[in-house]
Amino acid sequence: VISTDLSSPVVPDYIVKYTAVVSMDQRQRYKDYFNAEYDEYRVLHARVESITRRFTQLEARCRRFSPGTEEYQEAHKEVLQEYKKMKQNNPNYHEEKQRCEYLHNKLAHIKRLIADFDQRRAQSWL
Amino acid sequence: PVEGSMPGDVSCVDEILKEMTQSWPPPLTAIHTPCKTEPSKFPFPTKDAQHSSFNN
Repeated sequence: VISTDLSSPVVPDYIVKYTAVVSMDQRQRYKDYFNAEYDEYRVLHARVESITRRFTQLEARCRRFSPGTEEYQEAHKEVLQEYKKMKQNNPNYHEEKQRCEYLHNKLAHIKRLIADFDQRRAQSWL
Repeated sequence: PVEGSMPGDVSCVDEILKEMTQSWPPPLTAIHTPCKTEPSKFPFPTKDAQHSSFNN
């Protein structure tokens, strides 16, 4: 969720929509909601992860060389090439990353509600 | 955000790297099946270790 106005932070929709789990039926429903978006989330997550890993490697390479050297220039050139390539292959990279961050927070929220319910339930059995 | 920068520009590369190497948390794991029968003898629930760390 992006909020430029810090004085009134936007409450994400899923915080309002998904509240404490109180029954097994509700637990099942929440789990279904989670599963319904989980595959999409995993695909996006893996994509961003592999791109992040690639650029982290390139960054490490850049750091190995001193500015002004030929290797340094080469490493920098490779970053630009890789970025261009990434933009071509994933024109919606930034939107996808944002969507993935949103899904991560949303699914983590739902998962937490279910875990809280399970914990309360387990304690009542003790 | 780095579009329009001169290719080969050092600050442009720095910006790309800064943008593209932001830490990325491990994926959330799936939700376990609810236990429909009695829980096992020692139902110690493991606390969910996943935290949303996206809020900048």
